[in-house]
Amino acid sequence: MSKEKKVIIIPCSGVGKSFGTVSRMAAYQVTEDDRPATTQLVPLALLVLGDEEARETVENNPVVVIDGCQLACAKKMVLESGGTVSKEMAVLDFYRQNRELKPQGISQLNEGGKKLASVIAAAVDLVVDELTEEGGKNG
Amino acid sequence: MTEYLETQVDKFTFKVEKDRFYTTFGVWALLYGGTARIGLSDYLQQTSGDIAFADIQPAGTVLGTGEACASIETIKVDLEILSPLAGKILRVNPSLEMTPEVINEDPYGQGWLCEIEPSDWENDLANLLAPEAYFEIMKNQAEEELKKK
Repeated sequence: MSKEKKVIIIPCSGVGKSFGTVSRMAAYQVTEDDRPATTQLVPLALLVLGDEEARETVENNPVVVIDGCQLACAKKMVLESGGTVSKEMAVLDFYRQNRELKPQGISQLNEGGKKLASVIAAAVDLVVDELTEEGGKNG
Repeated sequence: MTEYLETQVDKFTFKVEKDRFYTTFGVWALLYGGTARIGLSDYLQQTSGDIAFADIQPAGTVLGTGEACASIETIKVDLEILSPLAGKILRVNPSLEMTPEVINEDPYGQGWLCEIEPSDWENDLANLLAPEAYFEIMKNQAEEELKKK
């Protein structure tokens, strides 16, 4: 991957649902704390609104989506915007593997929800590392 | 051949399969060969959201009508499913442990919950709704929900 390119992280915009909040917390952790140099968060709302800069960003960079549920709005909007989804992740799948981390609350997630977001963020970190390594090898 | 009653409310389409009986809550019972299979209606699964876990009482459990036979956790709600009939659970859908989403994908088919040996089917049947009656109730429920938005 060239120096200019970043892995774009797009979380669910499910405002008002715990799973959406978990998705966004995971995205913030990756883009602000874990991998700030190699990732960039693009809010799903910008794609929905047809923002040209957001559309160009997803068209020209690898994208990881973190969807809250099976509706997969983030994935659908990336595809509709002309982008390619390098990796698709869903909060529900991670919760099924970590039943003790039941997310509750919306503006304030419970401890289970926060831990689930960290589990997802760690998985996204690995994907980002793979994508950036691949990109580096390819030039 | 599968036949449905179907209605559209807002952007959602809800189907009621015509070959079985229902509770007002949206649990169906289908009797075949002396065994009753039960599951969730299309409306109930759609309004409850993606299913994360489905815990069904184990085979051998004896249930009275209206007793809890399953608990279902979705991304939106926790549901306690009450048995529409009395009897003994013979078999639990083995798909539910690993792929509970089958309830969302095929609520009247592969997404069944369990099979029950009825102990008083005639009596229970008298308290269940024919598909046409449930369809009307479900439509009203859907329209009421829409008004709340």
